[in-house]
Amino acid sequence: MREARDGRELLVGHLRAHWYQYLFAVSIMAVAHVIHALFPGVLGSFTDDLHDGKLSHESVVRYFLMLVGIAAGHSALFGIGQYINHRLGRRFEYNARRRLFRHFTRLGETYFSRHGIGRMLSYVMNDVQSVRESIANGLNQTTNATVLLVSVTVMMAFSGIPLGLVAVCVVPLLVIPFLVVTFGPRIRQRSQMVQESLATMTAAAEEQFGGIRVTKTFATEPIARGRFAETVDRIRVNQLRLVKLSSLFQASLPFTGALSLVVALAWGGYHVTSGRLTLGNFVALLLYLRMIVTPLQQIGNVINMMQRASASLDRLNRLLAVEPDIREAEDAVALPPEAADIEVRGLTFTYPNAKAPSLTDVCIRLPRGRTLGIVGRTGSGKTTLAKLLLRVYDPPPGTVFVGGVDIRELTLESLRTQIAYVPQDGFLFSTTIRDNIAFSDRKMPLERVERAAKMADLYETVSGFPNGFETKLGERGLTLSGGQRQRTSLARGLVKDAPILVLDDSVSAVDAVTETAILRQLREARRGKTTIIIAHRLSAVRHADEIVVLEDGRIAERGTHEELLRRGGIYAAMHALQEGGDERCGQAERTATRN
Amino acid sequence: MRASRTDGDPELKAGSGTGRTRRAGQAAPAELKRRQALGILLSYARPHRKTFLAVVFCSLLAISADLLQPVLIKIAIDDRLLFEPGGLAMLLGLAGVYLVLAVISLLFSYWQANLLQGAGQSIVARLRNDLFRHISDQSMAFFDRHPVGSLVTNESSDTETISQFFTQVLHSLVRDGLMLVLILAFMFALDAKLALYCLILLPLIALIAVSFRRRLRASYQQTRAELSGMIAFVAENLAGMSLIQAFHQEKEQAARFAERNGRHFRAQMREVRTTLLFNRSFDLLGNLSVAFVVWIGGWAVLGERLEFGVLYAFISYVRQFFQPINQITQQWNTLQSTLVSMDRLWRIFSVQPAIRDPEPEERADFRPERVTGRVDFERIRFGYGEGHVLHDLDLHIRPGEFVGIVGATGAGKSSLVHLLCRFYDVREGAIRIDGVDIRRIPLEALHRTVGLVQQEPFLFSGSIVDNVRLFDPAFSREDAIRACERVGAAPMIRRLPDGYDTVVSERGSGLSAGERQLISFARVLLFNPRILILDEATAHLDSQTEQRIQEALEVVSKGRTTLVIAHRLSTVRRADRIIVMRKGRIVEQGTHEVLMALNGEYAKLVRHARGSFEQVSELAK
Repeated sequence: MREARDGRELLVGHLRAHWYQYLFAVSIMAVAHVIHALFPGVLGSFTDDLHDGKLSHESVVRYFLMLVGIAAGHSALFGIGQYINHRLGRRFEYNARRRLFRHFTRLGETYFSRHGIGRMLSYVMNDVQSVRESIANGLNQTTNATVLLVSVTVMMAFSGIPLGLVAVCVVPLLVIPFLVVTFGPRIRQRSQMVQESLATMTAAAEEQFGGIRVTKTFATEPIARGRFAETVDRIRVNQLRLVKLSSLFQASLPFTGALSLVVALAWGGYHVTSGRLTLGNFVALLLYLRMIVTPLQQIGNVINMMQRASASLDRLNRLLAVEPDIREAEDAVALPPEAADIEVRGLTFTYPNAKAPSLTDVCIRLPRGRTLGIVGRTGSGKTTLAKLLLRVYDPPPGTVFVGGVDIRELTLESLRTQIAYVPQDGFLFSTTIRDNIAFSDRKMPLERVERAAKMADLYETVSGFPNGFETKLGERGLTLSGGQRQRTSLARGLVKDAPILVLDDSVSAVDAVTETAILRQLREARRGKTTIIIAHRLSAVRHADEIVVLEDGRIAERGTHEELLRRGGIYAAMHALQEGGDERCGQAERTATRN
Repeated sequence: MRASRTDGDPELKAGSGTGRTRRAGQAAPAELKRRQALGILLSYARPHRKTFLAVVFCSLLAISADLLQPVLIKIAIDDRLLFEPGGLAMLLGLAGVYLVLAVISLLFSYWQANLLQGAGQSIVARLRNDLFRHISDQSMAFFDRHPVGSLVTNESSDTETISQFFTQVLHSLVRDGLMLVLILAFMFALDAKLALYCLILLPLIALIAVSFRRRLRASYQQTRAELSGMIAFVAENLAGMSLIQAFHQEKEQAARFAERNGRHFRAQMREVRTTLLFNRSFDLLGNLSVAFVVWIGGWAVLGERLEFGVLYAFISYVRQFFQPINQITQQWNTLQSTLVSMDRLWRIFSVQPAIRDPEPEERADFRPERVTGRVDFERIRFGYGEGHVLHDLDLHIRPGEFVGIVGATGAGKSSLVHLLCRFYDVREGAIRIDGVDIRRIPLEALHRTVGLVQQEPFLFSGSIVDNVRLFDPAFSREDAIRACERVGAAPMIRRLPDGYDTVVSERGSGLSAGERQLISFARVLLFNPRILILDEATAHLDSQTEQRIQEALEVVSKGRTTLVIAHRLSTVRRADRIIVMRKGRIVEQGTHEVLMALNGEYAKLVRHARGSFEQVSELAK
């Protein structure tokens, strides 16, 4: 699989692959323009014949047919050439996006957390489009401009119009490309400011609507309105700044065209009066001059477009050149299917760009089929451990072993297929519930999905929905309540029935009754399989074979639930906090049973 | 229970309905809606009448100057200037006039564009502000029906399309429309007969434009739809990339992307084909018309009915004919989008808030400062859609009481408190604060009286101080800091890079859940509502942070009537009263001890929280 190492490679590769089609398109368009350039010439000789009285009804018809032929020929050929050009451009877009998406799937969490999603989206959408537009339109306009200019020049040379005259008339027009190149970037800059202020307003709207509850409950609507109005006004101001420049530019182009006609009128007219120019050629000259205004403008446009495209290409270049953080070893081995024991030896891990390690000297031995509980405060390193196990981040060599093999030497595929992960945030995709639960294997039979849903205490709820498991979830699965989302995410992990299951705070959003039910089912289902449960609530890890208490990245205590309680340390203290003081409860119970 | 918002016709769902404006289930005739929408847009334009008039005037001058130019050439050619003595001087004079006309054209086009944009942007700015206000005034039921994303599209994208109406469509209509009219006028002035022949072209042009119109629009919309689907897909996948990698679904997701990418490509090609066909036909027609003029005009000149200069002018004009028509039809897409956007905005504007301020005559005399905090729920009946969520519920809370509400998911706890905030209105019964029906209290006063802390605290992008005082300049920085200190958030805030001035990003990311919760407590202290509601505020936290929150809760609930909904029994253990709800009814009430002795629903919940019954009795021995 040949990867695009270079953004330029993206474009060059495309051009190289399709060069013959491009050549064909360019040629056809060139021919079309040459044909078009005949137009003024025909009109010119028509004028001459008219003036010299050499016309007849038949010759008028002949001229008519010639013009029709030119028109038809030009339109047809130009259309074909454009079609090929645009098609190739869209093909480029398609391929570029495909490549980018594949590249994204190989990049690690580090990259995404540092760069926003919005920016990534902008690359995939806007930058690719910008490059496509410049190559499609650029090609179009360059061909148009070049051919037209060349053919008009040639026509004028052959028509017998004195070149000196032509040169003088053309002088004002030569300003046009400069105008375009000067105004263009500045207009673009102001246009970008408009876009930015628009984005600011959009973000403000999203924030205000998202937080409408807060605004309402604290009755701060007037203030919210005022802040929003500021963002709205900035757009207005920027738009006005833009139009000042763009309208000036747009008016200046026809102005230069008019200037050259003024010169032609005066100087050319003089030539006619002194007999050095026929009337017909005078007319043709005027028409030719009008014809080259557009190509000159197009040259300017192309220059601007190329500048923009080159900026976009640079960005794509840099993006595609990013190496993925997690790379499979050359000689990676597959994890044997039933290997489900985990060992962590002296693991010390620091996140890239972090000042202090998140985990220090962690040692865990989890034989196959056992359940490990990990508890600790927020930030104690629990989730980091899970991420390292899944190799979302690379642990140092010789620290994390699965099935006796250092996970850095395992194939990512085998590692990740053998471990089922239920993340903390219950992220779901906007597709059906079934699709979400069956995420690890979309083709699995519905019974498996339903079974997993039952285990996660989700089956009844989902069956209650009008479309059941085929119910589509909205953006980020938000139409479900927090607890439902979490249970769906849980079902997604359970359905894999993998040898190793990692649950990261996966029952926190459900009430106590549901939690107990789920945990009981879980114990049943995971008999004989390795399970790691990470939690805040001790009720979730109570039945684990071993519980490890993390504090500031180190293991502070370990043991079974009873052992830890007896020890009277951190675990016992947490237990006391969470249960609100067992002693008083116990007393009330005793009183109750006694009576 | 409000399990999901995926059911039923959203229009039918809301509690109240202003039947006349909302046509649930029955589509109002599109034309009528559109006319109303257009009416609204025009009402925004009315204050700028004079500007628009000036715009037309400038355009007139600019275009006329433009169009006179071929006339000058005609004069040069026809009046045989070129062949008469002294003709050169006249010629130079003509060139001079040409120059003046060019300058006029430049100046007035510039002014016209600026004037138009000035008016247009003011109109759009007002529209945006009005829309924002209208949406903000809506009740919570509205926000349930309309996801934030779609509202943002309305506020941002739809208004932008309407802005383009002014900057592009109207601009083109004025400039190009006038040009067409003037060209025709000039043509007729030069030679009526030839002009009449040229007029045949108009229906032809119209025919081509119309026959393409629908296809162009459909293909354009489809491409847009595919594009936005693709964007949404990529955005979601980027957000969940670590999950995709953890489940090793990279290939599968890439395949799904390829599907969408392919659909977009095909839609684009369809659009390309249609546009190309349209443009080239137009092009062809333009050139054919010139040929046509040559033919007809040529014969006319032969018959000496026409001067050659006139023919030249006509050829120029006919070519100039197509440019404006092309421009106008190019704006067609934008116009279509504008109409669509207007429809969408109208749909929002036509919704009246379900929860409204009481009319002046109904308004009760209610002073937030004097509220004691007595809350009475009198025989409440309520539901979101068809069924009932709360049945005949009766609850009386004393001023300053700390009430805990527990129950299984779906029991109706959240609904109860949302009713107190008047996010929704009850179907039957009444809710009173200090004896006053909350429907008779102005919404602003009500909201100052009842404070709500949600499960997922929302923070705005701004400093911590600004978040605590919600950007209200009435509260000083010191006030905000003091509130944070009282709530116990100070140590945590001081550890942040910029302390109280640390800018919190959107949705409060960068702070842990517990920290965000403390800030929302500080808000409550600052705004000082007499009645406080906490909705499941203590889930998702570890024990240490939770203890801090508990302490903060005690600070915050002092002297206030407090209602707390929680899953965690330890939160409500210290409550003055615990309400146990099940399926929309109150099944038990009392203190913790009383309820444990009852050995009913509450006791069952407590046992589940602590493990099996056997274990508890083990400890009790």
